[in-house]
Amino acid sequence: MSLRSLHGRRIDSVWIATLSVLVAGLCGMRLWRPGTVGAATNSGSSQILNYASPEEMLFTRDGSRLYVLCQSGEVRVFNGATYASIATIPVGHQPRGFSLSPDESRLFVVNSWDDTLSVIDTHALKVTATWHVGMEPSSVVDDSADKYLYVANRISNDVAVLNAATGAEVKRLAAGRGASYITLAPNGKRLYVTHVYPNPTPWRTPPESEVTVIDARTAEVVGHIPLPSAAGVFHVAFTSDSRLGVVAEMHPKNLLPVTQVESGWVFENTLTLFGPAVGNKTVEVPLDDLENFAVRPFGVAITPDGSRLYVSCGGSEAVVAIDLPRLLRYVRAHRGPIVYDLAAGAHYVVKRIPAGHDAHGVAVSPDGRRLLVANRLDDTISVIDTRSNNVVSTIGLAGSKQMWSLQFGLQMFAGMTNAAPGQRRCKSCHIDEHHRNAKRMKLSTIKQIQALRRGEQAFYSGHYAFHGAMGCVNCHIDSTFDAMQWDFEPDGLARNIVDNMLLEGIRDAAPYDWSGVNPNLPTQGGPRTEKFIWRSQNYDVRTLADVCAYINSLPERPNRWRLPGGNLTPAQERGKAIFERTVDDFGKPIPLTNRCNYCHSGPLGTDHKKFDVGTKGPGDDSGLFVTPLLTNIALTAPYLHNGRAASLEEIWTIYNPQDRHGRTNDLAKDELNDLIEYLKTR
Amino acid sequence: MRLASWGLAAGSALAMLATMSLFAPTAAAKADGDFIVTAAPVYRPLAELRGAERFPKGAQLLLVRDGKAEPLVAGFADSADASVSFDGKRVLFAGKKAAADPWQIYELTLANGSVRKVMETQSDAERPLYLPGGRMVWAQRTQDGFQLQSAEDGHPPKVPFLNPTAGPGVLPLTPMRANAFPAEVIADGRILFESGFPLGEGRMPELYLVYADGSGVEAYRCDHGRARWGGSQLASGDLIFTHGSTLARFTSALAHETPVAAPRAEYAGGIAETASGQWLLSARKAGEAHYQIDQWKPGAASLQTVLKERGEDLVQPTLTAARVPPRRFPSDLHPWNYANLLALDSRLSLAGNLKQAPAAVRLETQDANGHVEVNGTAPVAPDGSFYVSVPPDRPIRFLLLDQKGEVIRREHGWFWVRAGEQRACVGCHTGPALSPENRVPEILQRSTTPFDLTGTSLHAAVQHGSPGGTSR
Repeated sequence: MSLRSLHGRRIDSVWIATLSVLVAGLCGMRLWRPGTVGAATNSGSSQILNYASPEEMLFTRDGSRLYVLCQSGEVRVFNGATYASIATIPVGHQPRGFSLSPDESRLFVVNSWDDTLSVIDTHALKVTATWHVGMEPSSVVDDSADKYLYVANRISNDVAVLNAATGAEVKRLAAGRGASYITLAPNGKRLYVTHVYPNPTPWRTPPESEVTVIDARTAEVVGHIPLPSAAGVFHVAFTSDSRLGVVAEMHPKNLLPVTQVESGWVFENTLTLFGPAVGNKTVEVPLDDLENFAVRPFGVAITPDGSRLYVSCGGSEAVVAIDLPRLLRYVRAHRGPIVYDLAAGAHYVVKRIPAGHDAHGVAVSPDGRRLLVANRLDDTISVIDTRSNNVVSTIGLAGSKQMWSLQFGLQMFAGMTNAAPGQRRCKSCHIDEHHRNAKRMKLSTIKQIQALRRGEQAFYSGHYAFHGAMGCVNCHIDSTFDAMQWDFEPDGLARNIVDNMLLEGIRDAAPYDWSGVNPNLPTQGGPRTEKFIWRSQNYDVRTLADVCAYINSLPERPNRWRLPGGNLTPAQERGKAIFERTVDDFGKPIPLTNRCNYCHSGPLGTDHKKFDVGTKGPGDDSGLFVTPLLTNIALTAPYLHNGRAASLEEIWTIYNPQDRHGRTNDLAKDELNDLIEYLKTR
Repeated sequence: MRLASWGLAAGSALAMLATMSLFAPTAAAKADGDFIVTAAPVYRPLAELRGAERFPKGAQLLLVRDGKAEPLVAGFADSADASVSFDGKRVLFAGKKAAADPWQIYELTLANGSVRKVMETQSDAERPLYLPGGRMVWAQRTQDGFQLQSAEDGHPPKVPFLNPTAGPGVLPLTPMRANAFPAEVIADGRILFESGFPLGEGRMPELYLVYADGSGVEAYRCDHGRARWGGSQLASGDLIFTHGSTLARFTSALAHETPVAAPRAEYAGGIAETASGQWLLSARKAGEAHYQIDQWKPGAASLQTVLKERGEDLVQPTLTAARVPPRRFPSDLHPWNYANLLALDSRLSLAGNLKQAPAAVRLETQDANGHVEVNGTAPVAPDGSFYVSVPPDRPIRFLLLDQKGEVIRREHGWFWVRAGEQRACVGCHTGPALSPENRVPEILQRSTTPFDLTGTSLHAAVQHGSPGGTSR
């Protein structure tokens, strides 16, 4: 069996076919929800099996208590010194951020897929209120006066200002695209908001991001700290005197042809320093060095004495330890840009500390002696001694008791299966409970769950790229997309520029690639990725199957433009009629193939076929592109195969002059608006 | 040249070993693991780079097991250059059945002592190394000097080497008129090799890297000017090599070498890092005539003698233990008879940045006799970028020209690109530490068709990218 190969040649691809079968088998069920794995029991009832997936951590001021926010929909509460478990508090779906009130009596948790905020009484250790907030709330911070709560909303690109007592929304403040993480400076005066998707810029110009600065007292935006060339900006940390802020970010090179990976050719991983400590300017410094990359810097923490700066790097499964005074001396002494010098880190990086899969949130103990790192995809927390910069212990955070039992039961079950006749592998009856749990669930189901976890680990790892320089998630932030366009090498330099696609719901969207050349995910993610993206030895067969299974399992996030119950607003109804119309505004029949719902048909909004809709650019070899999915299309600007259309409107107002991309030039502006309102509900 | 049949075996080498006692050196202290060394009455480590014989009085491989040394193979007049497979089961080596024979590549199976001739060549074939993916690399004497060549090693699993120019046969990797010898296959899958600096014309020993398909050739670091050779990679990723006669290190964090504070001695070639982190190395102390094998714990004040033999140089220590294979490199060469090169900003150089962009870039090549030929000139955009098609698999170099056509900068030495290679560089000799700026080069905004400097009339085939369908 052969498939069309990466260069138009033919290669033996029996293994790809085998993989396809494996992936199909693994994806017999849509199991995955971020942080949770749902599975049907053999009794037919549905239950949710949780991996804990710790994301963020907080110490109380006295260090007596440690809160751990878990993607599984829980806040775990531990003794801050011994890490003994105190409580587990269920919250909403996909919690992403949390913070304590100034008096530490309340813990606020934002649930990103519920659009809610859970208020936890820290004495009673239970949720006492649930408030509705904006679209995909991703972090929350209480101001030092306990007057306002600030909530960053990833989808609406803003910060909601809430009354801290009642949860009533006071106002919205515009922030960057994909607003996600808020940090209150230690002096309590200002809040700093980052965003994970770059702000719109002209086509084929560098992405731009910013830190939105908010006056915590007046709840007004008072400034923007530009982060030129950054895309994928995460946490901010401050020195205790608030004179230095540090931003963790990625610095993509999407305007260069991806001819190689080494020397930061595709991504750099950087910090931006700002504040009086660096002369009130911004200085971007690399975290990478020549052959080791610090992939996807996420969490940032500074010890109270300002001696150490720690950055978790999820893709490298490591924490970069930086001598902060040395970094500041180097920055102050150095003239000219530092960011492109991969040897700069030798002046300030003191150690790369191994951590777990997708090392995520970090927290320094109040005495500064311990750094905790949440290893999201290992269900562990690494405890690092800040004097030796060594991991001194690891806290295990099994998922729910049930999941832990099932995993244990699976191991025991396998052991029994392999035992010789008459030989008893299980030592005692105290594991019977695990056996019963295992029996309640089909073994194959448990294996599916574990395969998805392995796939997610590989998806988030930078291990497979040359020099460990990047992972899938670099371009598919939080398993979504990056709002950027890339220039892959095999079809020429600066040719066939392609816009990145949202991954959610692509399970049934084959063929893949805008050109449709890849018939299935194993082809897309296997040899193609190995040769032209990783440029290094790729996954083994099982891991590739796991990665594909994980991608296939990604569900669509809730569509915020749909009304409850699936009803449409009048504008959306009008737009739907336009989407499905057969005659234009002049009463002329629209040819079948030029109707919206001809190509954008079916539940995904695609017929999986290639059409030339007149969008071929001078750098494109062909005008034929696979009809893209309409899934959550409101989120995924820019549009068209090459990202030329900055908005949905531009698809038809600029890039459809000949009506080849559907009959639209007869539409009035209001009608086009209606059409777009409907498309947003897909 | 042909590959020998894989089943060829020399038979009962173990039995022959038992009868041999040519070498019976004893170990002074037990090494941290079994290893193989080359014993030679005379060892001239850099002789071959300069066209002479490194073992003018012959050499023989010794296996040092549990502190006891014995010949590794029997029936060879000479043997050297042991390279142990990643699983620790086999050993590639260079051998001569008779002293007058050319060096050839053989493979020993450690479990049963069987030896097979891996390939048959008319000239010397030396310094074999295993590559991941079922391939191997070695140095082959050619009319242009020793060149790196690669081929399948004959063992499964064979990973398809998706490269139109590389099949099961021999793949030349270093098309230049100079000697090159493989030193190590490093963890990222690239081949570390020794050659002169400037590459293709100089005599100063220097360390270079090349991908397993011969593409991407570059110096390991660009702080040239020191004689460097014999590199070995540690588990940490650091590269230890001989600098002059002392040891030095390349580490990922730095763009230049740093000294290794090893005890005072004259060191020869690469080292072997044991499982406990100690180094086996070949050294001779002041006043001693021959190299011996010492063990050193980094940071320790002294060397511990492991193996010493009167009248013999003991060199090339190689552990027999299994080790983590390097990453396999997936070749992405296109089926072209040319190569494309993009420079982002030719103003940038470690030699000092140019204040103004050059007006043009000239490509020079060497013909079969080594004569320099001018292939043509191409425009340079105001941002310093240029994009050209060049002839593959032969020495090339760039010269930057001003508006008057005067040369304002000339590349040190020569390099090559493989047929079908498409590669970019930040500037002209900027070194691996300089990461590129994220911007579309102006030259690609003018045209996505590379300027033809192939010097042939075949450029009609040069169309931005590969013919036919491609997959991104």
